[in-house]
Amino acid sequence: MNASFHQLPEQEQDWLDAYLDGSISASDFDLLQERLLESPELRFVMRRYLSLDNTLQNEGADSGLDSEMAMRPWLSAENHAAEDEVDPGKVVLFSGGLRLAAAAAVAFLLGTAVMYFGSPEGEGFQDRAETDEPSAQGFAVIERLFDASWEEGAFRREEGEMLGSEVFRLASGVAEIQFFSGAKMIVEGPAEISLKSAWEATCHDGAVRMKVPPAARGFKLQAPATEIIDLGTEFGLVVRDGEGHVEVIDGEIAVRHRDEGEKLLLKNDALTLKSDAAAAKIESGTVAFPDLSHYGARTENRNRSAFQRWESHRDSLAADDRLIAYYTFDEDESTPLVPNLSIPRNTELDGATILAEPVAGRWPGLKSALEFRRPGARVRVNIPGEFPAFTFMAWVRIDSLDRWYNALFMGDSYETGEPHWQIRDDGKMMLSVMVDDSRPNPYHAGDAGFHRVYFSPPMWDLSMSGEWLHLASVFDPESRMVSHYVNGSQISGQEIVDDFFIDQLRIGNAEIGNWGQPFREDPTFAIRNLNGRLDEMAIFRVALSGDEISGLFEASRADRR
Amino acid sequence: MRPGASSIDSEDERYETFVSRFAHFEPDLRRFIRSLLPTWTDADEVLQQTAIVIWRKFDQYDPETNFMKWACVIARFEALAYRRKMARDRLVFREDVLELMADEGAEEIDRRSSEHEALEACLLAMPEKQRQFLTLAYTPGVKVKEMAEEAGSSAASFYMRLKRLRRQLMECMESKTKIANAAS
Repeated sequence: MNASFHQLPEQEQDWLDAYLDGSISASDFDLLQERLLESPELRFVMRRYLSLDNTLQNEGADSGLDSEMAMRPWLSAENHAAEDEVDPGKVVLFSGGLRLAAAAAVAFLLGTAVMYFGSPEGEGFQDRAETDEPSAQGFAVIERLFDASWEEGAFRREEGEMLGSEVFRLASGVAEIQFFSGAKMIVEGPAEISLKSAWEATCHDGAVRMKVPPAARGFKLQAPATEIIDLGTEFGLVVRDGEGHVEVIDGEIAVRHRDEGEKLLLKNDALTLKSDAAAAKIESGTVAFPDLSHYGARTENRNRSAFQRWESHRDSLAADDRLIAYYTFDEDESTPLVPNLSIPRNTELDGATILAEPVAGRWPGLKSALEFRRPGARVRVNIPGEFPAFTFMAWVRIDSLDRWYNALFMGDSYETGEPHWQIRDDGKMMLSVMVDDSRPNPYHAGDAGFHRVYFSPPMWDLSMSGEWLHLASVFDPESRMVSHYVNGSQISGQEIVDDFFIDQLRIGNAEIGNWGQPFREDPTFAIRNLNGRLDEMAIFRVALSGDEISGLFEASRADRR
Repeated sequence: MRPGASSIDSEDERYETFVSRFAHFEPDLRRFIRSLLPTWTDADEVLQQTAIVIWRKFDQYDPETNFMKWACVIARFEALAYRRKMARDRLVFREDVLELMADEGAEEIDRRSSEHEALEACLLAMPEKQRQFLTLAYTPGVKVKEMAEEAGSSAASFYMRLKRLRRQLMECMESKTKIANAAS
């Protein structure tokens, strides 16, 4: 048997995690058991996964720590905000036997800006812990990766991932690392680089090109028996088998090799650096340093074909007669309108862009998206009609959840039958439909009317900032279910109980990426622009099935691994 | 004297043999049991029960035969008994699933053990911060679930990160054992 975890259907993978976390639902557990009887692969992988869990559990137990001791390094190491959380004045925020230090550490670990406690029902009705500053860990970030591969058994790194004091290993391909000093390192694998600080690194192996702007002058790169100090602009270093070659591409560097005095190197100067010999001048241009243009072209080709697949998918989706409206937010300089692409074309449903800015979309250079970073940014639409159900679907890039509520699609006045689709600052997706605007909200007297918000579990945290996500939410009166999906997988399903049943749905005046007519002036409540980008949004008059949603996700995703 | 028990003479000697056998096979047995039950704590309980039964029946064990196979049979039985006691717990396997998992798992003891070694190597290669996170998450007393309920967003994101790391480890372990299998 050679089945591996990632070969299992995604559904089964998710079941296994949910089983380990004890969070699997009774019905999913039944399904899991059915599948176990049928699939030897699943049984095999599950035994493996449980055995892995067992090892981790043993490690945890053997660490000799109790929970508070385990938490302590996290509390004291870097983060004062976390310590503040232990302030006894805030004890009331935590109920039950939960250890304060533990909760604070968890919050810190996740870099969450805000934790919430209390009733999940209703807008504007929960106790909130004070905001602590999300702290970035590390001093460099992986800006881009091109064809990167990692040693067998090593950890895959991802674009946008923060790097701290550690050894960065790349088996092949190119990584662009941005230090917070401003220095930029382009590394070509195989490479092994020790990162020391925003100002210092050591190249044990690999080919490196350093770009050092004025602000980062003095950046130090160590090579075998050698210290290189960049005095500005650009140089290359290749280390293979303990032997180095350095060359100034532009600007100036200082090199100190073994116990020799400091040498200044200018443009086109090159040296070989052997640990058992003096530095020797060589001709420039004999060593190849990493060049991004070559990798850029290949990535671009791959992007282009994924984009073309999406274009044909877009055309077939536009013809789906279950659509209410379909926007792809492509930039068109001739008009501020966001055309509704659903067929037959109905220009009445075109949106108007206000302050939202065209930016790179899922395929940079090929497709644009709209960014709603400015508080006034929005796309206004007016969609008449009455509908039996709603499915909202969008490709969203969340940079951060700055607002208490972060809008995706919001009915202006939130009158009976109108939807609010948004994301709360704790990463939960929210979908609600006003059930009766003439009756008071049962959960919060001062709030809108009689409605219920259906929350998903948190699906976003700061570590996902900048990632493109496929989000979908379904309001289905017929089966009495509200469901949320992320990247084609269902993450929640809640029943619509009798009290909150409504099947005559409307939209009318509405906004994408913001909220037009808040009924309370309080800015934390009223400002709901999404700090992020939208590059596709479809609204259906029916409840799409889980399979259909995962099909839409698959057909429109930018990366296929 | 029972057949097959000839090499076990005194009570002391018998006990020593038991302890050394059991200590040697305990990690294997624990992994085996873990794959049949919902949590590590359940597995711990069944492991202890199994140890007691093995000791009680140790004079029936034929030292010429595979100790681990014999122990697995007992553990399987104890897991089933435990299942019946716990059957109302919704995460306990149905009997047919548990039996199937046990029968196949008993054939994979050596494989699990080499996977475990690969996993240890993967853990060592893991970036320090990530490993600390995992150790923290798996430290007894750190109740992820309780936190998830009480702390809402943050703890559930905790689950998400935990899941990601666990899957990465799984991938790492799978690729390492694949290499080992190809090489042998």
